[in-house]
Amino acid sequence: MSAARPRPGFMARLERWARLWPTTPRSFRIGSVILAFWLAVALAGPFLVPYGHAQMLAGTPLSGMSWAHPFGVDQLGRDVFSRVVHGAHLVLLLSISATLIGLVIGSFLGLLSGYIGGWFDEVTMRLTEALISVPFLILAMLIVAVAGPGLSGDPLLVVVAVAAVYIPRVTRMARSAALDIVTKDYITITRLRGERAASVVRREMLPNATGVLLVEFATRAGFAPVLIGSLGFLGFGMRPPTPEWGLMISEYRGLIFLSPATVAGPGLALASLVVGLNLCTEGAARILGRASQPASP
Amino acid sequence: MLALRMIGRRAALSLISLLLVSLFIFVMVEALPGDAATRYLGRMATEEQKALLRTRLNLDTPAPQRYAQWLAGIVRLDFGNTMVVSRPIRDVLAPKIANTLILAGAAFLLYLPLSLIPAAIQALNRDRGVDHAFSVLTLVLLSTPDFLLGTLLLLLFVVTFPLLPAMSVVDDATTFTEFMRALVLPALTLGLVMSVYAVRFLRDGLIEVLDSEYIRMAELNGLPRRTILLRHALPNAMIPTLNVTALNIAYMMGGVVIVERVFGFPGFGSLTVDAMLTLDVPLIEATVLIAAAVYIGANLLADIGAVLLNPRLRTLSE
Repeated sequence: MSAARPRPGFMARLERWARLWPTTPRSFRIGSVILAFWLAVALAGPFLVPYGHAQMLAGTPLSGMSWAHPFGVDQLGRDVFSRVVHGAHLVLLLSISATLIGLVIGSFLGLLSGYIGGWFDEVTMRLTEALISVPFLILAMLIVAVAGPGLSGDPLLVVVAVAAVYIPRVTRMARSAALDIVTKDYITITRLRGERAASVVRREMLPNATGVLLVEFATRAGFAPVLIGSLGFLGFGMRPPTPEWGLMISEYRGLIFLSPATVAGPGLALASLVVGLNLCTEGAARILGRASQPASP
Repeated sequence: MLALRMIGRRAALSLISLLLVSLFIFVMVEALPGDAATRYLGRMATEEQKALLRTRLNLDTPAPQRYAQWLAGIVRLDFGNTMVVSRPIRDVLAPKIANTLILAGAAFLLYLPLSLIPAAIQALNRDRGVDHAFSVLTLVLLSTPDFLLGTLLLLLFVVTFPLLPAMSVVDDATTFTEFMRALVLPALTLGLVMSVYAVRFLRDGLIEVLDSEYIRMAELNGLPRRTILLRHALPNAMIPTLNVTALNIAYMMGGVVIVERVFGFPGFGSLTVDAMLTLDVPLIEATVLIAAAVYIGANLLADIGAVLLNPRLRTLSE
């Protein structure tokens, strides 16, 4: 490796970012603020809220909204606001790790498939198409179901299910990006040099597909909390008393007539996080000069 | 001839996809390494229980043979029997699919105006307040998970304005009006979720078409705005939206899972969830395969539609 270039100081970098900030699209700025808010909640929130995520008798059960309990108190006397805050890092961690796994495997497969072409590409694409044809939620449920009751409620299983939904979709995306890149001269040169496919993908294709993959990551990351929440809602995700937002909405649905705040709280959290992620995606796509698309089913 | 050849090729590819999906489902459900009986019953299960499950699932037969038998049955529309209460899956499926088809049809009817009207308003008032307002609204709705949207609609129409039933209970005693009332909320939720995906595409498509020369020509010829919009702009803007609509129909197969669960609507989606929760192996296989088949079919239809709607391909075929 070459000697490290002297990096600009922290303040200098901060200043540069501050100068760039006003030039970014408004959607990106609003989205970043919302995301920063949720990151702060995920990191610091658990230490600041007065109650634990499973702490009962925090207040009078179903007493509704109040300053002491902004999202009300559930039937077991747990403070819903504290539970929502405790859930933030869980939701973020699950979403990001699942999306990352899906993106890494999917983009490698897709780029490789586009680069190698021929029968390898044909087989990969047929398998990809077949997997995509199972609706994403049903595929995720299927994976959780066949894992059996022994693994149910395991956060790793949720991550695997979401990643499995993403892998074929990212593969298809990366492959179409690769088809564009392989026509370039610098790829032809590496081919003539006789380099190994895996190394061409890593050294030449990947850096040139960064923009596409970044937008893809953001889009998928924006959908991951919804997918994880849906799994939790249907009983295929985390188990109570985990404070996962989708699971909470499902648990409190029965209380909606007695204390709507218990549903509105986690609902607001989930929706605002996803709005933030989607705004960031749209903004990032515009910065990178690409049309953004909502996550396709 | 070109159009026909393209359609033929797409149909063949669809069939391959379907075959691959069936193999994937079978391997996932029945043929993963390790003992399926132990996995499904948990470690606490007795040997007798496991043995019973193995005979029920015919697990002693080699997997390729079981797969071939299963596939042969499906071709005759025979999905086998459910495991939990041994009934022919076809009989269990038929009424649920009928309910879901009605729900999907109602949702689709709502989907068209819910996506066309906002998109037209946005395209005609480009970059004005209304356009931005609708953009924000679609973004918020796009970010609202469907189970949350359903729950909120439930809160709105059942608690705040008590107009509709909270649970869409449907059985033999249900009258027609009761069924229609039970249909409204799930259909509205599905329709809204689908249109949110389509509105953006339709808006951008409409703007592109409205900027084109033939629309300018029509304007210069003094055609009324309404005629231009309805006769000339919309049909052309809808071609790219066709893919989104196919995706939406595909989404509906997953969406009904959530929406039917939220409102307790007894359809295909509820059945799928029940099959997976009770680990009814043959029923899981049947529901997943049907969902995938609908997706593949919808995409094939969209591709055929795109070929037929594309004037260049149409003339080549003549």
